[in-house]
Amino acid sequence: MNTELLDSNNSGNGRPDPQSDDVARLVGASKIFGEDDAAVTALDDVTIGFRRREFTAVMGPSGSGKSTLMYCQSGLDRLTSGHAYIGDVDVSTLTDQELSVLRRSKLGFIFQSFHLVPALSAKENITLPVDLDSGAEVDEEFLAELTDVLGIANRMENRPSQLSGGQRQRVAVARAMIPRPDVIFADEPTGALDSKTSGELLTYLRQAVDELGQTIVMVTHDAVAASHCDRVIYVQDGRLVGEALHPTVDDVLDKIRELS
Amino acid sequence: MIRRTFKLAWFKRNRYSLTVIAIALSVAFIVSTLLLTTSIADVGEPLNEAYDGVDVVVKGPEVAAGDGPVAGITAPVSSMVVDTLNASGYEAVGFTSPYAQALDPTGNPVGQDQSSANVAEPWLGDSTLNGYEISTGVAPSGIGEVAIDSATADAAGLEVGSTIQYVTDAGLRQAELVGIATFGGADNDPYTSTLLLDVADQVFEPTRGYDYVLVADGEQTATVDAVAPLVPEFKVISGTTWVEDQISQLDSFLGFFSTFLTVFAVIAVVVGMVIVTNTFTVSLAQRTEELALLRLVGTTRRQLMAQVVLEALFLGLAGTIVGVAAGLAGVNGLGWFLDVLGLAIERSDAISTSAIAIGVLVGMGVTVAAAVWPAWKATAVAPIEALRSAELEPPSAGRNRMIAGAVALAIGIGCLLYGIVQTDILLTGVGIGGAFLALYLGADTLVRIAARIVRPLLGKAGPTGTVASRNLERNAGRTSAAASALMIGISLIAFFTLMAATIGQFVAGDSVDGLSADYVVQGIGSQPEPALNDETLAAVATVDGVEAVVPLYSTSVTPVSAAEVERVGPGGASLGVVATEFDSLVLVYDFTINAGSLDDVTSTAVVIDQALADSMALAVGDTVDVTALAGPVDLQVAAIVETSLPGAPQPAIIGDLDLSGALGYDAPATTAYIIGTAGEAALTEAVGLPTIDVLTLEDYVDGLSSNLDTILALVYALLAVAVIIALVGIANTVSLAISERVGEIAAIRAAGASSRQIFWSLISEFGLLALVGVLSGLGLAWISATAFFRALSGGQINYPETDVLTGLLIVLAGLVGGAAASWLPALSAAKADILDVLRAD
Ligand SMILES: Nc1ncnc2c1ncn2[C@@H]1O[C@H](COP(=O)(O)OP(=O)(O)OP(=O)(O)O)[C@@H](O)[C@H]1O
Ligand SMILES: [Mg+2]
Repeated sequence: MNTELLDSNNSGNGRPDPQSDDVARLVGASKIFGEDDAAVTALDDVTIGFRRREFTAVMGPSGSGKSTLMYCQSGLDRLTSGHAYIGDVDVSTLTDQELSVLRRSKLGFIFQSFHLVPALSAKENITLPVDLDSGAEVDEEFLAELTDVLGIANRMENRPSQLSGGQRQRVAVARAMIPRPDVIFADEPTGALDSKTSGELLTYLRQAVDELGQTIVMVTHDAVAASHCDRVIYVQDGRLVGEALHPTVDDVLDKIRELS
Repeated sequence: MIRRTFKLAWFKRNRYSLTVIAIALSVAFIVSTLLLTTSIADVGEPLNEAYDGVDVVVKGPEVAAGDGPVAGITAPVSSMVVDTLNASGYEAVGFTSPYAQALDPTGNPVGQDQSSANVAEPWLGDSTLNGYEISTGVAPSGIGEVAIDSATADAAGLEVGSTIQYVTDAGLRQAELVGIATFGGADNDPYTSTLLLDVADQVFEPTRGYDYVLVADGEQTATVDAVAPLVPEFKVISGTTWVEDQISQLDSFLGFFSTFLTVFAVIAVVVGMVIVTNTFTVSLAQRTEELALLRLVGTTRRQLMAQVVLEALFLGLAGTIVGVAAGLAGVNGLGWFLDVLGLAIERSDAISTSAIAIGVLVGMGVTVAAAVWPAWKATAVAPIEALRSAELEPPSAGRNRMIAGAVALAIGIGCLLYGIVQTDILLTGVGIGGAFLALYLGADTLVRIAARIVRPLLGKAGPTGTVASRNLERNAGRTSAAASALMIGISLIAFFTLMAATIGQFVAGDSVDGLSADYVVQGIGSQPEPALNDETLAAVATVDGVEAVVPLYSTSVTPVSAAEVERVGPGGASLGVVATEFDSLVLVYDFTINAGSLDDVTSTAVVIDQALADSMALAVGDTVDVTALAGPVDLQVAAIVETSLPGAPQPAIIGDLDLSGALGYDAPATTAYIIGTAGEAALTEAVGLPTIDVLTLEDYVDGLSSNLDTILALVYALLAVAVIIALVGIANTVSLAISERVGEIAAIRAAGASSRQIFWSLISEFGLLALVGVLSGLGLAWISATAFFRALSGGQINYPETDVLTGLLIVLAGLVGGAAASWLPALSAAKADILDVLRAD
């Protein structure tokens, strides 16, 4: 596979124009933390779109703004300027209530440190987003399939504290998948896992994209993880500095070396 | 080390600020109530010192025992006794202390409050029997000269050489103040304002006899055994017994306050301990995690414990310093409040170090213990295990906890039952403490049961409801902490409300409804009660517009047979008697007649109230045999009325004016009802004495309950403080409990729960806690009140006055209070930025 600077969508400066049918997109997005002297520009005029059924990796050095990009895109955080769209909805126009509904129905989150609810069993944690929606029913068949593929089917009644780190992460993955969200945001989901477990998880995420048509945006530092993706975007100092489609591990490593 | 600890504490300052406030409030409450309790001046010392020289006292036989509203009657000792004893070689003097009220230069009564007596006493000269010593000026000699005690002189602003006015039962007098005296080394005879007059003064009515004859060694050594045979009709006691009787009389008055304040001090200590402990129990998981992490990076257990102790010391010290300072200020506030209420307690200036020590001990000790114990347990296991168990909820109620709770319950119920049966105040107290401890330890079990009951309901509210019910079920410490804070608050409110209702029922009554007099004339003060002498009554009767004056003569008698005493009940051995012009009385007082007819009232046929009829099983026509000053008298029951006269004791006997004479009683009237349109001002002028009040009917009725109001005001003031402390405790517990859970809340929010869902789940969780706290508090209060009133009233009050509406109001108030305390923490947790929490990891 070739690393190529972006194709016809390229508007000349290497930046992809988002399409209106993108699942999620940022337009002229900036995020500044703090004020005056202490101000940190975590996102600097970023415009990008995430396509349906695409597995995107977000890479870049520590502190480059990857997490911020993801949080702002998903409405967990507010932009200082610009717009973040989920589908054609501008998240900045939503109330807290609407954002909650958006999260439980259209978005899935996987965090580096799992953030499961200790009071609930693994199964209850997984079905949490659906249960929160009084109208919705859990798709038991899908649940069984998910937990089976993830290898946690026999741990459903256990509390998070009784699970291993990898098992907890897979519970978190299942929780993100269960409402069949438009897009899953994963912030370093393999960061806490060994290479074998992380390999399995990535294979599964890949499968979810290919077979279930899931859209995933994943922040990662791991070139191997990035090589599972359809597309890798590189972030530095809050700006998009590159993009590659179907890169190999070596492509990714080269790019990282080039950036640092 | 110290710096790092301090930094850590500073980092957590928001979490700790409420804790410090809670500690400070608790310590302040403890210190001020204990200081007040211990500062009540010792009455024994001056009395013992003053009457050191009194070897033997001769007194008349007791006709009726004084008890509460019923005045005691003791027959006088005839003046012959003094002559006999002096002739036999003893030194004997007659001693009487009639009513006398000093006025200040502006003509107002001095030192007039409910706790003080106002009397005149004879100046006994150089005799060892004289309790007083002149400190300024000279002793009074002859009519027209008086000395007063130094406390009264200070209060009135009177100096030697000035003219003093005072009122006796004979009317207003004027004299020269020649001396100021001290009593047994103190400023005054405790709780008494005394005028010292010449022995020959008419006020002592020597022809009537004396209250006591005081005897000292003369040529003969005075002992009870030697004196008794010389005066066979009289009672002879030792001087020591006489002083002890006086002390115990004062103590029974003071005893109420010290019992009351001690109870409050104990409550303060318990509330303080629980709140401080809660604070640390609630943040157990966070602390365990923090400690485990420090252990992971290589901190030794020793270093950790030192850090925990230091941190607790910082907190405890901050709270304690503020608390002790506030407590020292608070005791003056309390004292001032008592003065305002007219319950001036004579206090010493000495600051009890033990009161402060207990405050410090609770503030520092409990804080450190509450912090160290969980830390000790958390550091006892491998750090990783601690880390895991911080996440993993503590197993259901510890077995030790359950066992301790069961033991406390058994002991508590045992002591309570025994206390109820035996009316033993101490055991009742222990029982209440045990029941409280059992509820404290068992609160989590109760909550768990409640949670299980409402689980299906909460489950319907979706996963947030499930989380709420799970959280209730799983965390024993946190749960019982929050519930117990409310339990304390509610049981305090309920207990004192019951107390207020019960006292109210006991004191007031519906008798005022029947009264239609236009004015009531009455002396101010009650120890002894100032008289309305014939002159005053006559002056009032001649005022324009006065149609009738109905004087009331009060006395008391003892029912004759032991069986009758038994039936009236302990402490009810004496019966109040009111003699009056019955024909006029019926014009101003509308009796509710239950049996018989008021027309049948004669000098020995009387009206009794239903209370007396019930307790002695009397019907119209029956005879009541009583002992009075005149000896045994048989009284017939002419009629039975629903209630006795307002302000008169119950049970009571009401008879015609002649009854007074028939009983051998000749003291002046103490109250008079007036019919007519004469103005208040004209009547007051006719009375002409500042010691006698002319009241409109309305003012009189208000005044009847004012004693009660005073006590209630005190109760409510202390209660308000306790409730504030409990509320701060609840707010602190809830906000800590919620801060424990921010991670969990953020996770649910990230999964799509709206802040509204989170908020209501938290509110329903704490609402359920509140409900359990409120109901158990109410139950505890009711049981405690039942036992406590029984013990305190010596079995007279068996059930607290209960009122379902009030109970419901208290439940509602508790729930609202609980909700209010959790509202803000829940709201801020629900609205908190998810990212702040997620990033925090
Ligand atoms: N809440 C905040 N307040 C102030 N500055 C912040 C905040 N969150 C992030 N930043 C700053 O914004 C910049 C981008 O942070 P971000 O977390 O997005 O980086 P990242 O690319 O995810 O890094 P890493 O790979 O280390 O997770 C950093 O310089 C960071 O210090
Ligand atoms: Mg990041």
